[in-house]
Amino acid sequence: MTPALLEVEDLNVWFDLPKGGRLHAVQGVSFSVAAGTRLGMVGESGCGKTTTVLALMGLLPPTASVSGRIAIDGVDVLEGGEQTMAPHRWKDIAMVFQGAMNAFDPVKRIGEQIAEPMALHGVASGKEAAARVRALLETVGISPDRARSYPHELSGGMRQRAAIAMALACTPRILLADEPTTALDVMVQAQILELLTHLSDELGLALVFVTHDLPIVAQTCTHAAVMYAGKIVEQGPTDALYHATRHPYTRLLWAATPDLESQDDVVSIPGVPPRLDHAIVGCPFAPRCDRAEARCVAERPELRTVGEGHVSACHFAESLEVVA
Amino acid sequence: MSPVQPGVSTPEAPPPTPSLAFRALASPVLRNKTAMVAVGVLGFFVFLAVAGPLLIEGDPKAQVGAVFEPPSWEFPLGTDGGGASMVSMLVAGARVSLLIGFAAAAISALIGGTVGIVSGFFGGRTDVALMRVTDYFLVIPDVPLMIVIAALFGRSTWNIIVIIGIIYWTFTARLLRAQTKSVRERVYVQRARALGARNSRLVVRHVLPQVTPLLIANTVLLIAYAIFAETFITFLGLGDPSSISWGRLIENAFTDDAIINNAWWAVIPPGICVMLVVLACTIIGQTLEEALNPRLRTGHLSVRRFRVLPRSVQPEHQKP
Amino acid sequence: MRGTDYVVKRVLFAVGTVFVAITLNFVLFRSLSGDAVSALRCRGCSQEFKEFQRRELGLDKSKWEQYKIYLVDLAHGDMGRSLRTEEPVRSILWEPIKTTVPMVALGTLFAIVFGIATGVVAAWRRGTATDKATLWGGLGFYSMPPQWLGLVIVLFIAGWLGLPTSGVKDPTLGILDDPGVIEVAVDRLEHMVLPALTLGLVVFGEYTLIVRSAMLETLGEDYILTSRAKGLSNWATVWKHGFRNAMLPVITLVALSLGFIIGGAITVEYVFSYPGIGLLIVEAIDQRDYPVLQAAFLLLTLSVILFNLLADLLYFKFDPRVTE
Repeated sequence: MTPALLEVEDLNVWFDLPKGGRLHAVQGVSFSVAAGTRLGMVGESGCGKTTTVLALMGLLPPTASVSGRIAIDGVDVLEGGEQTMAPHRWKDIAMVFQGAMNAFDPVKRIGEQIAEPMALHGVASGKEAAARVRALLETVGISPDRARSYPHELSGGMRQRAAIAMALACTPRILLADEPTTALDVMVQAQILELLTHLSDELGLALVFVTHDLPIVAQTCTHAAVMYAGKIVEQGPTDALYHATRHPYTRLLWAATPDLESQDDVVSIPGVPPRLDHAIVGCPFAPRCDRAEARCVAERPELRTVGEGHVSACHFAESLEVVA
Repeated sequence: MSPVQPGVSTPEAPPPTPSLAFRALASPVLRNKTAMVAVGVLGFFVFLAVAGPLLIEGDPKAQVGAVFEPPSWEFPLGTDGGGASMVSMLVAGARVSLLIGFAAAAISALIGGTVGIVSGFFGGRTDVALMRVTDYFLVIPDVPLMIVIAALFGRSTWNIIVIIGIIYWTFTARLLRAQTKSVRERVYVQRARALGARNSRLVVRHVLPQVTPLLIANTVLLIAYAIFAETFITFLGLGDPSSISWGRLIENAFTDDAIINNAWWAVIPPGICVMLVVLACTIIGQTLEEALNPRLRTGHLSVRRFRVLPRSVQPEHQKP
Repeated sequence: MRGTDYVVKRVLFAVGTVFVAITLNFVLFRSLSGDAVSALRCRGCSQEFKEFQRRELGLDKSKWEQYKIYLVDLAHGDMGRSLRTEEPVRSILWEPIKTTVPMVALGTLFAIVFGIATGVVAAWRRGTATDKATLWGGLGFYSMPPQWLGLVIVLFIAGWLGLPTSGVKDPTLGILDDPGVIEVAVDRLEHMVLPALTLGLVVFGEYTLIVRSAMLETLGEDYILTSRAKGLSNWATVWKHGFRNAMLPVITLVALSLGFIIGGAITVEYVFSYPGIGLLIVEAIDQRDYPVLQAAFLLLTLSVILFNLLADLLYFKFDPRVTE
């Protein structure tokens, strides 16, 4: 069986804390993304999704320690640290950052910044690069003449799209998008989601889409992984997570989403996620779970298969009722 | 972190009490070792200034030894060009220098603070007018202006204090204006206003507690500037002829040809004193300012890299 | 052209400030308590001479009249005559200007270059011993009164370096034979070094602090992370993106520190008996030669206004965000 484009196996990230001790930010995360598919990573702030994605790019700070396997086309790139990860940056795997509106250097023109990695990685330079820049801008729905604009001359939505264009500059096969639509208005949001879906479908781009917004995932992604306290608690095809939720946390996340048509009250999840500088005994979600029992506090649940490509980390995963 | 709860806005924090504001100032200094050392140094000199007359008997300027005597047991720092003990002169100088520093800084803070708060609070044309004036003042070079005014209007200590005071108010004004503006926009101020509170009450009860810490931090820095400025003025011969300040001691060393006499003890100590006090005030002032306007950003570039651990290894020091 | 109104506004402001400066100058010097002439120190000045001077200086007219005459004279470049030597002030100022400018330029250049270099290094090695040493060094020198530093240098360093500590040229040069241009230049330089060095040392500390601060701020920006993500090395990122952005506040800083530089220059010239404008001012103060003092002060103020305008325009050129 051919390896998926991106394979992550047992990824762990620890951060040194200033006063000693460590924060276990990502705990044994595994997933794979095939070409042309889109994986949504969902979770509350601080659950480790951004750290995971930064780890894939090799952009973690020096206070970080990483272990696990990150494979592009079946080849582990994490092994040699910076040395093995650097060659793939932007060429095979690129990223659109959170708050990408600030991803541009304010004193340089957009076109120049989009073309920058092209020359660096030997993809194109000079006139050819300029032509590619214009084509990229068109792809993301920006007039090619704006290549000569400075970042502050573009609106937030345009800058976000320009950031996507910049990420595509060296035609990567994997695109990581960290909250690309947060802080944008609904219309622009829809455009960008459509764009990303299109790119994935047409160009075979493997997309990892990080967000806290579940409905977006339902709408755009083919697969989803729900993260909590550094671990993946449920993962599978989006349909399955939507129609056959098998984890209390995921269920509550859905319930917390306001629905214009429903008459039900919006339910919020009380409590806060656990601290990650201590080892956690039992299920990390137990304190806030509405289904918790004695077993949950004592014994940590492992990921278990509950359907086709669908796993969940709950002691009662199989017996949870299916939510329509 | 917050649970998934769309559409709920966090209510704004209530206005801080004066005691809270004071603690906001005190704790960062107490926690910072360097700042504490600076406070100690400043305290030492303040003590010298205050207790001065008790420590030196008689007139510090009186000739008690030969001219430019090197340091000895009798005169730990030797004598100056007039035969007076350097130690006595330094202690006496502390009094005047610190007095000038504190007083001038106070004047600057008062003027600058008032202008800044008024400008920031009332906005509109008052703001524009005041800022225009401040802008013009800013462009005219400070030290030359001080020198010229001192040259023209006299050489008393009081004059010098006033001169320094009126030159430096612009920095404070800008700072406080910005701060006042942001405080004014806060929810609780607007609520109080909606309830019909008068301007004076708004300013005193809401604006002042918020801007005072910053004002104090700024004033401490001003003390450093003022003491520094005094040395400029005095060195050029514009100081009060009857008073002894550290600036005057440096001037004396120059005009009495301490260099030719190789009398380093007459040259170095006054400068060191100025340096120490200026350094102390700068450190304290900066610590305070940093605490009030923290810059939390960590850099994205580093020479060192993240570490890759083999898969079986669990790092130690995880707290149970 | 972008921001024409900005340029126009700045020029108008500069012109306005020039007027304020001229008026301030007039007000200061004419509203002396006591008469400038009666305070004049000159031996053997008879009463008639003083009366004559009074009329010459127009002190018998109303203040408003005096102001108008002052403006007209200025427009013609007439800045009065020295009370001491009767020479026109304009010609008295010329030689000292030529002497001061290179010295101050040298000192300021040293301060800028050294300040930027140390600031960048300190930011780069944040938290390390290098950082602390640089910070303390900068702070230390910044807290030294320039005259004191000058005296210390004369006491300890000058002899060791074999550099002259007073005057601007070797009086023995040119007596026995015709000195070549190089010889003269070297001689001038030798005399310039110590005053310029003293000035530079006192000024650079402030620059170090601000550059370090600006650099740290810049290095925390998102576009720096993006640059690394695109594959640029640390060095390339700093050079292409960090520098331009971090240096912007430095332009403003240098402009703001001009007052301090001038003050420093005056004291340094006094200490080293360097016959420039600074020394001229000190002598004028001592001899109560007010026309000279007034003219020198006006000149200095106008220079600072001009430099501030230049700094504004420079900032405008380098920061595309400035448009209003």
